[in-house]
Amino acid sequence: MQSANMLLKKVVSSVLPFAAQHGMKKDLFPLSRALSLSLCLKQDKSCGPSEKLDLDAWKKVMRSGLQEEVGETISEHKEELSSLAAAREILEMWRLAGRKVPEHISEEQLKTFVECPSKSAKKKYLKYLHTKELHKKNDKRKMDEKRERRLETQEEASKADETKRSSFICLWASGMDRAYNWKAAQSMVFGQPLVFDMSYEKDMSVREVENTVRQMVLSEGFNRRSVDPFHIHFCNFRDDSLYHKEFIRHYREAWGKLLITVTDQCYTEVFPKDKLVYLTADSPRVMKTFDHNKIYIVGSMVDRSIKTGVSLARAKRLGLETAALPLDKYLLWNSGAKNLTLDQMMRILLTLKDTGDWKKALEFVPKRKYCAFVSKPVHELKKTLNLINTLKFGKRQEEVRKQFAKNYSKKLTKK
Amino acid sequence: DIQPPEKPLQAEEWNRLREGFRSPEIFEEVMFNNMVRCNSPIDVAKSLLTHVAKSNGDIAYGLLVKYLALCVHQGQTSEICDVYDIMKIRFKILESGAYNLIIRGLSNSDQWRMALTLLEEVKKIMIPSRTNYESCIKAACRHQEMNLAFELYHEMLAKDLVPTLDVLQAFFDFSRGMKGAELQNQLFGILLYLRENQIYPHKTFMRSIKLWFESIPGKNWRGHLTNIKDSGQCPVCNHQLEDSDLTEEEYNNLRERIIRDVIHGTDPFRKTTPQEFEAFQTFVENRLPFDVVIDGLNVSHIKTRKMQCENLFDAINCLAKENVRLLVLGRKHMLINSSNWKREIMKEMQNKADFFFAENISEDDAFLLYATLRSGKHCKFVTRDFLRDHKACLSDSLTRHLFRKWQRGHQMVFSPSVEGKHINFLPAFRYDCVVQTTGDTWHIPYKDIFEEKYSYRVPRKWLCIRQK
Repeated sequence: MQSANMLLKKVVSSVLPFAAQHGMKKDLFPLSRALSLSLCLKQDKSCGPSEKLDLDAWKKVMRSGLQEEVGETISEHKEELSSLAAAREILEMWRLAGRKVPEHISEEQLKTFVECPSKSAKKKYLKYLHTKELHKKNDKRKMDEKRERRLETQEEASKADETKRSSFICLWASGMDRAYNWKAAQSMVFGQPLVFDMSYEKDMSVREVENTVRQMVLSEGFNRRSVDPFHIHFCNFRDDSLYHKEFIRHYREAWGKLLITVTDQCYTEVFPKDKLVYLTADSPRVMKTFDHNKIYIVGSMVDRSIKTGVSLARAKRLGLETAALPLDKYLLWNSGAKNLTLDQMMRILLTLKDTGDWKKALEFVPKRKYCAFVSKPVHELKKTLNLINTLKFGKRQEEVRKQFAKNYSKKLTKK
Repeated sequence: DIQPPEKPLQAEEWNRLREGFRSPEIFEEVMFNNMVRCNSPIDVAKSLLTHVAKSNGDIAYGLLVKYLALCVHQGQTSEICDVYDIMKIRFKILESGAYNLIIRGLSNSDQWRMALTLLEEVKKIMIPSRTNYESCIKAACRHQEMNLAFELYHEMLAKDLVPTLDVLQAFFDFSRGMKGAELQNQLFGILLYLRENQIYPHKTFMRSIKLWFESIPGKNWRGHLTNIKDSGQCPVCNHQLEDSDLTEEEYNNLRERIIRDVIHGTDPFRKTTPQEFEAFQTFVENRLPFDVVIDGLNVSHIKTRKMQCENLFDAINCLAKENVRLLVLGRKHMLINSSNWKREIMKEMQNKADFFFAENISEDDAFLLYATLRSGKHCKFVTRDFLRDHKACLSDSLTRHLFRKWQRGHQMVFSPSVEGKHINFLPAFRYDCVVQTTGDTWHIPYKDIFEEKYSYRVPRKWLCIRQK
């Protein structure tokens, strides 16, 4: 009995710190004590729990469970794998290793992956596909949940079984569409033109073109739903371009029915030169007011690698007037590039056209990019701030000097 | 977060831990990550593996890799081999993470030759990483198989992999005291590699080089640490270092490339306009050659308390000596009388130097490069800009190296030490700061610190090696 007590002490002392470390619940203690005690009592006195464990048992399991597959893998191994199949296998291994890799990858995506010029490019591309896949999965899950909820509510509604009376038939969506189209058609005749310059394809990567088209689809949507739409022109648009391919992917058959003007001509051939204003963040000229008689041009470009001066160069070449939004004048800029997305530009221009109110228009600049809106121009504010500072500082300096003079005279008198 | 246990656990103990964990489905992964982090004993890891194998009948690849990391960290060679065997049975190929670990683990053991076979295996499916090569080369060096090590080194260079300074240093460390003309030439080759790529060894690497030289039997090499004089003379052996002049061909090549890549680039309208550039070219041709070209706007910001035109005026006065032809590049806005640009001072300056004013939206740096290169080899330029963005416009590394070499020898920098009223400029280097040899001497510039923070900073300390 004495020896058993000793043993108990030993076991408890070895289990206790471990249990405490892991924040085990208190009610687990008696159980663990009993367990380890019974375990040890069964065996020789001197043994610890580890000696009973066969630490290499996992190797046996891994080897034995797969004996039959071995022959197969070896024969497969010798086959010459095509580069695509090999890439697929590497991807599979990366996925197993827990890297950010999509579960499913199409033949086309695999080809893009193989053609990536560097290791980091490959990694980035896979991460992009991976997050895309995650988003898709999440969307699908949400859709399913929504459908279920809808079915439930429908059941409840059918139970209640009470039809509401209303003077309108429920045809909101198509009715709205017709109204929007009517306005857009009007804008095609009377509206102020807004030009998108589609000549930047060779300055962009495939993904940038995709992003551009996405932003333009959004812009077109905002325009269509506005009170007084622009007459949108796509200039320098070529039918064999990647832009075109992407637009068709987004709009499908609606592409042919869009109420916009698409042309392969340059804007300088369509409109008088002196009416054109190229909007670019690099412009030295700052836009003061929105001019209803001008034709504004927006470059259809997404530049993730901030290519400074590309669109300014284009305007320079054609000798066009340029302008930049007065971002610095009205916003206390925080961080980020001054170039905005195409849909943000569209909403800003639409608001300016309707109201002429810069505060309202610049609401569409992303909030993360600026600290505050100022009614006074920023440089004037800075001037007053400086003035206040120098006044304060100057005063203090004056005080310091007086203090110094006092001390100095004291020293003199002491001498 | 959960702490890994200190001793191997029984299956039921693992089960209990797992159930107590907030998300049991990732328990093993989290536990293994923590084991790697805490460097737990491998017996603990093994007991978890055994538990997983017995309850699932299989162990996921990710877990095996993590176990491998633990084994490599603790130098458990036989375990590494076992895991590799199992992985080979279980999977057709492995991914780079596992290969990296196995190669690293084996190369540090007496099984290092197996790391070489693994390297061959990696080559079949991808380009090995430079650390793969590093492990194998170091292992070969450690076992005095220098031929093999150099073979791998050249293979690596052929694959456009950049060797780490560590590998290069290993060659010198392990060749110490060894004979053989072939070996010597190989190591000289490494020094020339440093020269061609304008790489500066750090202090410990420099020491390895010195020790190797001094250890070559029968050659009597002696190394001294020194500072080179401004004139370019080595105070130890009185040897005059190479100047940084480019050859005629290199010079013309660089000029063409500057015009093509930096000034025109993808679109000549981005930095200037063709009309403006043409006007500038004729302007320069009519006044050639200049001795110093000054970036006016850059220089005008040297002292913030002073008026900008005053700064420029001081700089011009400081540089204008007898018969020195100056060209100042500026922008048109400098001609408009303003608080920073006084018309009278501008007028006075224009008597002392030629001025070219570019459009306000043009880039004057590009003009600076062109005018200096067009004036000839003697012409220097003044700007505090490091010109990194222009270097980046050059399309290949060879031209970038040429550009750096030319920049070192031709850029005059404002000297910051002078806090007085006058503006002073440091003369450009008279000698070229690269590894260089005459056969019986070697001069090797080195960095005091390991990390090179600024690519433009040139070391001032040198190792002088000569035969007695």
